[in-house]
Amino acid sequence: MNHTLILSWVTFVYFASFVLYLLRLIIGKEFWGRAASFLAWAGLIAQTIALILRWKTSYDLGIGHVPLANLYESMIFFAWAIILIYLIIEWRTKSKIIAVFVVPIAFLAMAYASIAPNISNRIEPLIPALQSNWLTTHVVTCFMGYAAFTVAFGCGLIYLLKNKEKGNAEKPSGFSGKLPALATLDTLIYQSIALGFIFLTIGIMTGSIWAHYAWGSYWSWDPKETWSLITWLIYAIMLHSRYVRGWRGKRMAILALIGFACVLFTYLGVNYLPGLHSYLKA
Amino acid sequence: MSIEKNSLWSFFSSVKLTITILVLIVLLFIAGTFIPPHDVVQTFANQLSPTVAKVFLFFRLSDLYHSSLFYILMTLLSLNLIICSINRLPALWKQYKTPCFPEPAGLFDNLPQSRIITADKEISKIKPIVESFLKNNYGHISEIEERRGYFFYTQRGRFSLFGVYIVHLSILIMIAGAIIGSIFGLEADINIKEGETVNVANLTKGNGIQQLDFSVRCDKFTVDFYKDGSPKTYRSDLSFIKNGQVQRQGALLVNHPLTFDRFRFYQSTYGIAPEIKAIVTYTIAGKKGGSIGLAAGDTFDLPEGKARGFVMRVEENIMQMGPAVKLRIISPKKDIQFWVFQQLDQIIAMNPNILTKAPMFNPGLFPPFVFSIDRVEQSYYTGLHLVRDPGVSLVALGGLLMVAGMIIVFFMSYQQFWVRIEQEGAKISISIAGRSNRNDQLLQKKIDYLCKRINEEIKA
Repeated sequence: MNHTLILSWVTFVYFASFVLYLLRLIIGKEFWGRAASFLAWAGLIAQTIALILRWKTSYDLGIGHVPLANLYESMIFFAWAIILIYLIIEWRTKSKIIAVFVVPIAFLAMAYASIAPNISNRIEPLIPALQSNWLTTHVVTCFMGYAAFTVAFGCGLIYLLKNKEKGNAEKPSGFSGKLPALATLDTLIYQSIALGFIFLTIGIMTGSIWAHYAWGSYWSWDPKETWSLITWLIYAIMLHSRYVRGWRGKRMAILALIGFACVLFTYLGVNYLPGLHSYLKA
Repeated sequence: MSIEKNSLWSFFSSVKLTITILVLIVLLFIAGTFIPPHDVVQTFANQLSPTVAKVFLFFRLSDLYHSSLFYILMTLLSLNLIICSINRLPALWKQYKTPCFPEPAGLFDNLPQSRIITADKEISKIKPIVESFLKNNYGHISEIEERRGYFFYTQRGRFSLFGVYIVHLSILIMIAGAIIGSIFGLEADINIKEGETVNVANLTKGNGIQQLDFSVRCDKFTVDFYKDGSPKTYRSDLSFIKNGQVQRQGALLVNHPLTFDRFRFYQSTYGIAPEIKAIVTYTIAGKKGGSIGLAAGDTFDLPEGKARGFVMRVEENIMQMGPAVKLRIISPKKDIQFWVFQQLDQIIAMNPNILTKAPMFNPGLFPPFVFSIDRVEQSYYTGLHLVRDPGVSLVALGGLLMVAGMIIVFFMSYQQFWVRIEQEGAKISISIAGRSNRNDQLLQKKIDYLCKRINEEIKA
């Protein structure tokens, strides 16, 4: 079966999974939750198979490389990483609540990758600068970091939503009553940011090592490098305000949103600035 | 301790300052990525107004990453880091060295029932059970005898107290590496035509040149393309020559730098040289002689004729007569110049008397050699980037330490456990309590596990 076909099905499956998670939240029946989780897992497995197929196809074309080399491939991997990290959290915490805000982001990434007119889904050969063993480690660690920050963003959104509701009414109304406790969300925000921070650190470092071999300098102040450092600093500020100044709750949720905006700019916005990381330009 | 009361000292030891500096650095970076590069700004600012241009140049706004503003912020951050670390060290050391007995005040107050195990056995039987269990699970344990029984202490991950220090130290090490690199390091570019040997490089910053202790020859430059036209390989075959001898030869590719004499060489660019190259072959008295690639200005030896050749001109198409090379051959007896045409046969066919009218068109004017042109090629030049950065190893060390430190900070904690065995009337009570510097959830889980296992061991 063709990997492109599988990926378009996976896009649909993620959307269906999101709808079921939403149904579970509104109706409150665990059946919908189980169905949603099942779909998410099925989507993840199918997507893994599609990625492996794409990898194999590239070898059949004689230009074999890991499917992490252009904007399309990175977007697909981003979605894959988001679902993977979310499902691990679901499995560890037994809570399905953040899915409503996280799964649709994976769906949007998949949909954007296939629909956007300026993104080519062709398997392209690797230009000399990308022919390196560091490609895989660099891209994988960065996108695992991005995915963890996406989860933090989802939790931050729920936190703010619930927090607002709490201010409005004495008793939590229907929707927000079903949301997880603020303290749980706060812990989840912190944990996913800590995880993302480690991945981003390793991602920046592997990128740095790669740049040392490819461009001759471990740091060139390329806009993407600088923005990854900005993102890193934002999350570093966040962790310090939590550890040392005891910031919790609303402030952390807002910072999680700001951090995610930085992640998005590092990933996509930077492509509109001139620089060395032009592989992702559409 | 007057030093701690010093107001400057307390200013630098605040975390508020750290966060302020980090926010300022973030703002500077954001500005840095949006302000266009130096040359654009300069033209623009000059047209706008000389005053604006002066302001731009003074603050180096177009190169914020090398501006005094950025250096000041980095200095402040480093000072802040160092002073914060020194300031917190005594308390941390105290925490590290705190004797395990007596236990922290109030540790055993309000202990839930699940953390107290009661047993009917004699204390002399229970003590070795608990002791050996703790030893098997935690290695080293401390023990004191109390009025009503025994008191054990054990711990795990005490060094993790220093995790944050490792991370902060790693940042200072990386900053030090970057400073060493920018002071003692060197970056330069060289363009070498195929066949050319070069021993000077243009410094990347400023207009200076760097004389090298060796020279580099580009033997060949190759560029390969995929079927779809995108580049596949850039490759320069280089020879490094020192003291007149080729000391190293190698292929330089993107992602595969070469190192020679403390310099790292990178394949950075390439281009088509303005001059063309002719592949000239010659025969000696009708027998096959040799083949040489020649560009204008090249010299070559003809050992068979004890002569030296000079390439005067290389033309792709001279006067509609096709490619031609003008050579000058000097030997002890002769000094002669002539043209070599690739399409000499056709020229003679059209002008049968050409060689008598223009003897210089005869490629056999230096007998017994007869020259001809095999083909003309465009010649490439390869653009090399060379770097010497003595700070790299420090930066790499800093990176390793940072990852190690983060793993300690995020995944490890200092866990302390106290186990008290007391005789209470006819019964023995074993109470277990603990403390951790972070991740209390994990600690509580571990204490629950300890209670469960000790209970099982005693019953067994």
